[in-house]
Amino acid sequence: MRAAMLFPAAVAMALAAAFVPCAAAEPVPAGPAGTDRAASGAPRVLCGVCHPDVRVQFEQGVHSREGFDCTSCHGGNAAAATVEAAHRAPFRGTPKRRDIPALCASCHADLAMMTPYNIPADQYALYLTSQHGRRLVKGDESVAVCTDCHGVHEIRRENDPKSSVFARNVPDTCGRCHGAPPPGSPEGAPPVEGSPFADYQAGIHGQAYLQQANDSAPTCASCHGSHGATPPGVGDVDKVCGQCHATARGYYRDGPHARAMREGNGPECAHCHGNHRIARADVALLDTACAACHEPGSEMLKVAGGMKALIVGAREEIGHAHAAIDRAAAIPLYVEDYKARLEEAHTALVQASPIVHALDVGRVEQLAERARGIAKEVESEIDGKLGERWWRRVGLLLFWFYLGLTLAVLAVIRRRAREEPGG
Amino acid sequence: MTDSENPETGRQGGRRTAILWLTRGFLSLWAVGATALGIGFLRAPSREKRPGEGLVDAGTVSSLPVGGARFVRHGARPLFVVRVSETEVVALSAICTHLHCVLKWDDGGGRLLCPCHSGSFDRTGNVLAGPATRPLPQYRVEIRDDAIFIRT
Amino acid sequence: MAPADPTPARRSLAAWLETRFNLTEMLAFLSSFGVFPAELDTTRPFREALREAMRRPLPSYARWPRVLGLLSFLLFLFLVTTGALLAFYYQPTESEAYRAGTAIVRDVTFGWFIHQMHRWSARLLLVMLMVRLWRFFFQGTYKAPREAVWMAAVVTFLAATQADLTGRLLTWTTTGYWTTVRALEVIHALPVLGPVLMFLAGGTTPDSLFLTRFYVLHIAMLPAMLLALFYLHFNGVRRVGLSHAPSESRATGETARVQMINMIILAALVFGGLVTLVTLAPTPFEPAADPALTPQGMRPPWYLLAPHAIIEMTPTMLPRWAGGLVVEAILLLILVLPFLDTSAGRGVRERRVAVAIGIVILAIWLFLTWQGYSLEVRR
Repeated sequence: MRAAMLFPAAVAMALAAAFVPCAAAEPVPAGPAGTDRAASGAPRVLCGVCHPDVRVQFEQGVHSREGFDCTSCHGGNAAAATVEAAHRAPFRGTPKRRDIPALCASCHADLAMMTPYNIPADQYALYLTSQHGRRLVKGDESVAVCTDCHGVHEIRRENDPKSSVFARNVPDTCGRCHGAPPPGSPEGAPPVEGSPFADYQAGIHGQAYLQQANDSAPTCASCHGSHGATPPGVGDVDKVCGQCHATARGYYRDGPHARAMREGNGPECAHCHGNHRIARADVALLDTACAACHEPGSEMLKVAGGMKALIVGAREEIGHAHAAIDRAAAIPLYVEDYKARLEEAHTALVQASPIVHALDVGRVEQLAERARGIAKEVESEIDGKLGERWWRRVGLLLFWFYLGLTLAVLAVIRRRAREEPGG
Repeated sequence: MTDSENPETGRQGGRRTAILWLTRGFLSLWAVGATALGIGFLRAPSREKRPGEGLVDAGTVSSLPVGGARFVRHGARPLFVVRVSETEVVALSAICTHLHCVLKWDDGGGRLLCPCHSGSFDRTGNVLAGPATRPLPQYRVEIRDDAIFIRT
Repeated sequence: MAPADPTPARRSLAAWLETRFNLTEMLAFLSSFGVFPAELDTTRPFREALREAMRRPLPSYARWPRVLGLLSFLLFLFLVTTGALLAFYYQPTESEAYRAGTAIVRDVTFGWFIHQMHRWSARLLLVMLMVRLWRFFFQGTYKAPREAVWMAAVVTFLAATQADLTGRLLTWTTTGYWTTVRALEVIHALPVLGPVLMFLAGGTTPDSLFLTRFYVLHIAMLPAMLLALFYLHFNGVRRVGLSHAPSESRATGETARVQMINMIILAALVFGGLVTLVTLAPTPFEPAADPALTPQGMRPPWYLLAPHAIIEMTPTMLPRWAGGLVVEAILLLILVLPFLDTSAGRGVRERRVAVAIGIVILAIWLFLTWQGYSLEVRR
């Protein structure tokens, strides 16, 4: 009954609103019955009459479901039917960029409000320590504020896959400022060259996360933090990388590079591996990265060269052994035990590789030589077995030769026996 | 299989006997070959340990009193770990070097006794008394944290 | 020939032994397994008895058709020797069998040779025993007084198939394991023999216990049985005399010494053939058996394909053992064939009916074998 009366009332108001300068100067489409909450008994919210697309967005988000409405952030009178009445004080309107963090914090830093939802209340405090927050305080309004990452009206929960801060979407969200193709670019446009986003995408972390959907790979927030976003400082880089790469970090800290770092000047992870455009860690780095600081022909470069030679040598030997196993398996021969022994060689090699961070040639040598030894043993055993096949044919020929002679001898003996007088 | 008997007892002539023995030698090479085949086949394969196979877990240092020993089972070649001092641990073969009986540890006397012929060895494997003449072989001990590993 | 000097003569070793043992009896015992198709006089001294036996003219036995029996025994000797050597390395438990098998083939010196000799000799032996049965049938060599020879030949063939069957499982490869499972299906369906064999084998599923029993059957019981059967056969043959094809004349023949040399030549040729097969056509490497994974297309061994076909073709109204009963009835008829054939003589003309029936049965057997083979394909 009431719904039937609503429609003409809405049409009348729309016609009236057409003559009033208003943010949305188009005819109002009829919304689904009850969306202005008249049916449910809650106070009517009529902002959507003039701002329909905003209302649609807001209703997708989490705030609308928790009982907040437009006046929670914008102030004003939601029940008013005219613009002047609606925009009556206290009316904030569109908040200024530099005021947005404080505005969000008015609820989100309030523990009493946040605790029932089990949402932490430290985001604003963290934000103020971040590069974004510090710059904003100094007056730079080009940095990110809450709405740049979380959305303005359509704010979804962070575990909602459509949320801009859902883990899978974090690189794109950060990339909006830090290098992603600007909005309006055609599909498949490349990111801004040299930007963190472009480097991350090209690097191994980006490829693992974005292309191979490997959720254990890091995103921007994993290394920089989210609300307290700050690039790791000098001396702290290895702590960040060590969150995942604990073994490499352990060896690094035992080695001369970390000592140099502590004394004031030394390389950290990013010096050799890069920070965003991280290439796959390979012994080839020992050729290129060391020369960036060390003189050609110096002791240190010799150490690097030595370690590389050991690891590459072991790797090659394991490759030979694998090829031998494949050859044997093609015949086929039983190769499961050879494969198992080669696994041990692999393990030794894998253990040797991170030790280069400690620059400990002795330990690298121990493990690399062990890997090499096992691989060599396996290969020579297999080659021995494969060579056997040829020897068998040679043996067969000799056998027939000797058998032929024997048969001739036996034939002669038989002839003799036939000549003998029988009984 | 039986070879045919060839009794040429009536025949004279060195040449004949030479051919005869040559023939016998020629034919008996088959037997030689078969024997070589059999021996090659029956030669037991080497039981050398592969890399990484030889580490035996022998408990912890802290659970071994100074001057005490622990028996470590290891197939047919058991071992003793002896803590000779606060920091030093040795691993000895538990097989008597006389006639291969398995030794027993005598805590009271701090020595290893052989139940077969009453031989005895001291903490580091030297012969104290008894028919054995050679000391007990020692094995390399690796201590990682508190754990004792013996490399056999 | 002067009689042997009764006083101990230290001149020759043989003479020295002769006064302490009855060497002639020893040789006679060995010969009773087919080396000599004639009896040695064990009361005479060794050299004398041998000399006399060697000079005796005998009908040819190292030539077709009697060569089959000789070769069967020869192959049996190869099998026993190579089998004994293999047993030094083999371990008959579920967890170790495959590993031991591959160690023999790959790591032991000449292990591949001994193993393949064993395998090829087994295959040839079965073929030879079957061909021998057919030749006995078509040449009428089962008629009196040779009924026992025929029966021994039939049972020898059956025992050899059992030895082959028990041997297949020992490698614990995919083919070996699943072929045995299929064969057990057939044996399980036999009403009388089935339960007996299952009792000996220790159940119906090949597990570790089953494997050990198969192993014992394979290396001890069946070889002993085969040895006894061979002995019976050769003993019977020496009593009734070598059979002759009606066309062969009885009188001519070469001396035993020549026959023995023929036998050695034959053995050498067979050995050469086996070695060639072994070197050029060894059985390829196979993966280990996985009792949880039934591969496609596994069939019972070739000698069980015909019984398999008979059993599978039993209409579903009847119980499975009805088909097995048919198989057993056929076996029994084959066994007592000498008593069924009432024709007068051995010639083909006199046994027209029997020979005709034989040809029909051979054709049916071949057809059933092909049927049994293609049953799997159709599935």
